[in-house]
Amino acid sequence: MEPGVILEWVIKSVVILISMTAGFAYTTWYERKVLAKMQVRIGPNRAGPFALLQPVADGIKLIFKEELVPAEADKLIFNLAPVITVIPALIVTAVVPWGGVLDINGFKLSLALTDTNLAILYIMTVTSISVYGITLAGWSSNNKYAMLGGLRATAQMISYELALGLSLVGPVLVAGTMSLGKIVEMQQGGWFILFQPVAAIIYFIAIIAEVNRAPFDMPEAEQELTAGYHTEYSGMKFALFFMAEYAKMVAVSMIGATVFLGGYLGPFLDIAPWLGPVWLWVKVAVLLFVFIWIRATSPRIRYDRLMAFGWKILFPLALANVLVTAVVVAFMGGK
Amino acid sequence: MTLDFTPILPFMIVAGAALALLVLDLFWPVRLKWLTPLLAAASLLAALVVELGQANYLRAGLSNMVIIDNFSVFANAIFICSGIAAIALAYDYIQRTGINHGEYYVLMLFSISGMLLMSTAADLIIVFLALELLSVPLYVLTGFARPRLDSEEAALKYFLLGAFSSGVLLYGIALLYGATSYTSLHGILSAVSRGTADMPLVVVGAAFLLVGVAFKGGVVPFHMWAPDVYQGAPTSVTGFMSVGAKAAGFVALLRIFVVAFPPVAVELTSVMNFLASLTMLIGNIAAIGQRNIKRMLAYSGIAQAGYMLMAFVPFGNKAIINDSVASMIFYLAVYAIASFGAWAVVVAVEQAEGRGLDIDDYAGLGRRYPLLGVAMLIFMLSFIGLPPTLGFWGKFYLFRSVIEGNYIVLALVGMLASLISAYYYLRVVVMMFLHDGANITVRRNWLLSGLVGVSALAVLLLGLMPGPLFQMAADALLRL
Amino acid sequence: MVNEFLPIGVLIILAVALAIVVPTLGYLFGPRRYVPAKSRPYESGMTPFGPGTRRVSVRYYMIAVLFILFDVEVVFFLPWAVVFKELGVPALIEMGLFALVVVVGLVYAWKKGALEWE
Repeated sequence: MEPGVILEWVIKSVVILISMTAGFAYTTWYERKVLAKMQVRIGPNRAGPFALLQPVADGIKLIFKEELVPAEADKLIFNLAPVITVIPALIVTAVVPWGGVLDINGFKLSLALTDTNLAILYIMTVTSISVYGITLAGWSSNNKYAMLGGLRATAQMISYELALGLSLVGPVLVAGTMSLGKIVEMQQGGWFILFQPVAAIIYFIAIIAEVNRAPFDMPEAEQELTAGYHTEYSGMKFALFFMAEYAKMVAVSMIGATVFLGGYLGPFLDIAPWLGPVWLWVKVAVLLFVFIWIRATSPRIRYDRLMAFGWKILFPLALANVLVTAVVVAFMGGK
Repeated sequence: MTLDFTPILPFMIVAGAALALLVLDLFWPVRLKWLTPLLAAASLLAALVVELGQANYLRAGLSNMVIIDNFSVFANAIFICSGIAAIALAYDYIQRTGINHGEYYVLMLFSISGMLLMSTAADLIIVFLALELLSVPLYVLTGFARPRLDSEEAALKYFLLGAFSSGVLLYGIALLYGATSYTSLHGILSAVSRGTADMPLVVVGAAFLLVGVAFKGGVVPFHMWAPDVYQGAPTSVTGFMSVGAKAAGFVALLRIFVVAFPPVAVELTSVMNFLASLTMLIGNIAAIGQRNIKRMLAYSGIAQAGYMLMAFVPFGNKAIINDSVASMIFYLAVYAIASFGAWAVVVAVEQAEGRGLDIDDYAGLGRRYPLLGVAMLIFMLSFIGLPPTLGFWGKFYLFRSVIEGNYIVLALVGMLASLISAYYYLRVVVMMFLHDGANITVRRNWLLSGLVGVSALAVLLLGLMPGPLFQMAADALLRL
Repeated sequence: MVNEFLPIGVLIILAVALAIVVPTLGYLFGPRRYVPAKSRPYESGMTPFGPGTRRVSVRYYMIAVLFILFDVEVVFFLPWAVVFKELGVPALIEMGLFALVVVVGLVYAWKKGALEWE
């Protein structure tokens, strides 16, 4: 294996990591700005033009904060939990293609880190790892609120993971492959949200619960659990949880955009293939806006209803969607 | 890819009925609860009809993962009949012990469906699947008398050891796959005979398989869980378990060893020989000291497993294996009939809160309930293997095939063990007729009485003319 | 085949490095002014009482068990979906049978109240 290939991988990996961390930083900025507009406030406006330096300032502030470890905490797990939580959020988009193949003076540059035919399985595997981090964080803190928050988060995430997984089976059925690159190519005839509207809606509801966002932010319900599983975390370890949450938001938006909204496809792609990443990020931004919009407008739902919704409505609906899709695909003789 | 479910049609009927009843039982009102056992029995009858209709219908199905031949038909007929008997055993019992939940019959049906799959398995994956399908409901059934501590304890013990033995079995399957790169019995056999297999690994894998099933079947030295579990489980479950679970394990083992493992007979025959002798001796000797009838029957069941294991010993000998298989499966039928009769007596005598389970409680019962006493006498004679009962013919054919295979010592050990067993089996009868005792009132229930009566008559009448049943067993050939 | 996953390996190594570097920054630059009260569990200013980790409601175990049950099913669905077009109607029937068993399980759990959060 020549060093050039490895260098290419490293560069692409670094680009992914930077875009995820920058995505995290500027999603917080984006969220504060949008929320402020929706609530007729001004929002952050001091640090730099349009407060664009605000996330940087926040990061620097957190670096210089004292880190507390509760006396009776399980130290090793307490320190490990945020790391376990953030890694899946950073690596889950590895299988998402950012574009087709660029031709730079004869050098073929594929705008995807890798295109494996197990992409969907990879995504499900990796996202389920982050549950461990949250459970362990809640458990190791030796704090009632943290533990309750961790448990609630775990139960909620695993409950919605079922619907999430099943909602991805529909597109796989239509496409006949788990490779995201091929799924995107198949959407040239029409985005999968058109063929799989139910799956798309289930996906978007399930990911809100999966990343513990309003209105499913029960694990962090301030009024009853202070801050949920990360109550005892401060400084950069808290920043890691924060990063995990927002990086996950970006990641699931990117996956949703790829599976249901045509991924990097968009107008003028055949003239300028470099537009692929642009279209992808535009779609991600739109989805993030929807996240924030929902947070700004809908109240938190009660925990028993949250679980009942996941198990009694979303999961059966997702199952029915898969079976109906299968019947349709079978009788159309495979598109 | 073609779909042909006919080879597993009886399995589909029973499993489908179990699924349907699971849901129906939830939805229909309390006054319709009696429908659950009725429909369960009806589905078993339907499965029996289909199963018997498949006699002499030799074929493999589902990508050669299952195979039906007369052997599987005979074994499945035993399983289905034992399922019907188990429903009769349970109907009154679970009502009066306050555990009358519809799930009882559903779990039983699931377990039976596992057995039906087991006897047709021609692939180790199916063997494992069927074994789990048959055991997991039994774990739950064992703990069915839930607030009772001994029931919970028994369930946990059974579950832990059962899970452990499943692990051993699976490990054996993995080793065989590693050694031969097949999980199907044919594949393993062909890999072994082509010489492409890693023989030491095949031997180890087969041994693991043997140990895994031996655990389930309660073969010494893997029998330690059996008495506790049999004692703690609700008696109707124990009756079902002592026949079905044991038999299914052996049936699968017989098919695996006879079809796939003759090449390793050199290594494993002596192991089988040793296990069979040990099981017969230890089971019978330990049964002598038991004061609780459920424990006594548990040890008796272990000893009976030893007799059945005798039939495995000549598994590498092509000349006599057909006789051996026939005698084993004939013995299985004999054991099942007598066993259900005996358990029906135990269920009838058992009183509330676990009283009436000591052998001492049987004192005088024979004189006050002569028919019950005579029936118990018949079952005990059959267990010992004395003429004119069916048990005699069971042991006769078994010992004959063992002697044919030139395992004289094993046959002598078996005879000796039978002699020992006469003591504790007859003690129950002596207690019933020759002692005076507490006035225990026996439950009068037409289902139980019917079960006792039918079993006793079957043991006697078939004992007078065992020919037809043995002929059926002799026709129940394993097909390669 | 392996080549498809090597780049992910590179990414994972870099991500782990990042996830370790970030808290190390806080460790290096953060102040450490120890006061005993700081290491007590945070309970919104109230004096904490009792152990921090205590017995967990059985509901959570129930959810976990149900999750395992149904997640396995989802995992079965994925490879089936990939080859579904080649296998056609027989695969549909087989998966229908499988889904039927799962749905019966769900109905049972539902009706028995395993999904209620009381």
